[in-house]
Amino acid sequence: MMPNFLRSLSTTCNNRDIQRKTISIVGSGPSGFYTAYRLLSKSKIPIKVTLWEKLPVPFGLSRYGVAPDHPEVKNCEETFTSIANEYQKDNGLHDFQFIGNRTIGKDIPLKDLIEKQDAVILSYGCMGDKKLNIPGEKDTNGVFSSRQFVNWYNGHPEYSTSKVFSNFDWSRIKNVGIIGNGNVALDIARVLLSNNIGELWDKTDISPLAMKCLNQAPIKNVKIIARRDFVHSKFTNKELRELWELERYGIFGSISKKYFQLGNLNISNLSRPMKRTAEMCYEYLKPFNERTKKSYKKYQPLVNVGETQRKTWELDYLKTPTSIKRDSNGNITALELFENNITEDNRVIPMKDHVINYDMDLLITSLGYEAKPMDEFKELGIQFEHGHIANVEGRVQNQEGIIVPGLYTAGWVKHGSKGVIAATMMDAFNVADGILADLETFPSKPSVEQDISFLADNKVEKVSWSDWESLNNYELLQGTNQGKVRAKVLTVPEMLAHKHQKPSY
Amino acid sequence: MLSLTNCISKKSSLLWKPLTSGRLFSSLASYKYALRHSTFNDPTISLRRHPKAINFYKSQVRSFSSTLTTFHGHLNPPKPGEELHITFVLKDGEQKTFEVSEGDSLLDIAQAHNLDMEGACGGSCACSTCHVIVDPDYIDALPEPEDDENDMLDLAYGLTETSRLGCQVKMSKEVEGLRVALPAMTRNVSNNDFSNN
Repeated sequence: MMPNFLRSLSTTCNNRDIQRKTISIVGSGPSGFYTAYRLLSKSKIPIKVTLWEKLPVPFGLSRYGVAPDHPEVKNCEETFTSIANEYQKDNGLHDFQFIGNRTIGKDIPLKDLIEKQDAVILSYGCMGDKKLNIPGEKDTNGVFSSRQFVNWYNGHPEYSTSKVFSNFDWSRIKNVGIIGNGNVALDIARVLLSNNIGELWDKTDISPLAMKCLNQAPIKNVKIIARRDFVHSKFTNKELRELWELERYGIFGSISKKYFQLGNLNISNLSRPMKRTAEMCYEYLKPFNERTKKSYKKYQPLVNVGETQRKTWELDYLKTPTSIKRDSNGNITALELFENNITEDNRVIPMKDHVINYDMDLLITSLGYEAKPMDEFKELGIQFEHGHIANVEGRVQNQEGIIVPGLYTAGWVKHGSKGVIAATMMDAFNVADGILADLETFPSKPSVEQDISFLADNKVEKVSWSDWESLNNYELLQGTNQGKVRAKVLTVPEMLAHKHQKPSY
Repeated sequence: MLSLTNCISKKSSLLWKPLTSGRLFSSLASYKYALRHSTFNDPTISLRRHPKAINFYKSQVRSFSSTLTTFHGHLNPPKPGEELHITFVLKDGEQKTFEVSEGDSLLDIAQAHNLDMEGACGGSCACSTCHVIVDPDYIDALPEPEDDENDMLDLAYGLTETSRLGCQVKMSKEVEGLRVALPAMTRNVSNNDFSNN
């Protein structure tokens, strides 16, 4: 006979007897995973977290948005992995499960989740692009959105093998325009300008299919074009510094005096980051020997570079794109723009009599990602406005502005496509703390199901955390064999096929 | 010198007011503001702490500290006689002092003792989640931040002139007795907070 205290201990450890509050999170990017992390590490009452992901692989924008040459930014995945491993054993207070290859709102109605769970968090991010809405944007060869382009070079299964990219003639791309000057725009500029420099990219997990195309492009100049002026630049200093530092490979930056002169700036009114941006630009625009700080003299510029190898990038300001010009084959040839004025109260006024044209072989619109409502929102009365789900500190509102009990939102679908991972993390923590405060007050719903994985039981394969771990190990091993950090599996069928093979390594 | 007797009742929610539109607080003012609103277990401890006053400091430290907790994480316990001391002022004003070894980073120390400090990038100076505010008395004794650290501090919430990243600050004899505060993280987040500039 087992002593009583031991028996009670073993029942405690037996998960089936714990009545946990149930929480479903839709989307396993940084916001979803950080919400799960906070809930699991802070909840005092037992919870069961189910993390849903439409792809067979987790991590969203960490895996498919962060630039391949910024592996350190992806270290948050280690935190996510440790929390998933810790709680999926299902032998403690809390429980965690990952269900991949399932789209909420398509494979499984959101309504079902809301009915069967104590709380549901929508953290599915942004699945669309903000548009210029100018003639030629939709149907001209060589015009891509930043989301398409970034997903393509990061090996996202919906874009990695896309014909739009593989059939495009990269060998004639000399002049590139990028509209927008956030960090995504700078990432793209860096990839375009430096992709043939092996020491920068060979070890990364950038898609080899994309690299093959990009390596063919004899790019000369990349213009990074913004609506506003220099002091309203959106990039952060790390990304800008990386661009300037490419001078060591013969890739040089410039800003027209019309848009940047230190003397014209009211330095004392600038924020700390912008002060540093201004100093950085001022110093890097000087010849190497005239620079005063060691920060700007880290690498000797490669000045003796042949004219054919020399590449340039340029920060351009105060422009509004108006139309895309193309040749008889439908390929982009030029971009027409208005010059802008910016008023004291910060309004942008396009000057319709100041028209200019830039010759261009490739145009990437990097205006930000756009969140989309789910089809079910209307039926469920969930309010979606100004490009995000209406909410009060993460608590979702209905069309009357009243909070829908048990429904939450986090990340970019909550507040739009802004902020680095650190900002997303803090936001997710705040949302999770709100949920934990609410959870204790919720009466148990009669329909709440402890295990809702049966919802995912239909003929399409679902992916568990251990399936992902196995795929992850496979990608890491393939990477090691090729001298890279990782070699991503590029299509959904291959990801799913791997699940069955579970090769030995 | 700040008076400590009337500061005990004030609550921590006022502790770290977020910066708006990138304006800088005077570091000294904000640090003192934080300390003024924090709860001291031992009001005899002087606020101004100079490395020279370290013997006095050592003699007092145990009265409000939780030293010698079990080490976990990847910190090595200090060798006898070579212990260095660091005090964290937590978000609720509580202070915790630890005995640590030379070379330990503040992030590692905080995580080894389960303090509320995230290292989203794993301590590789690629995010600002381990932001700490250093007691101005110690800031000059620390090596200057490198560019990559400053680039990340640009993005930190509640930035002050003595802000640093916990992953980049290492313990040394020069900063024995170091005091740092954790900026409050939990607060209402508005859309503006996510703007990059």
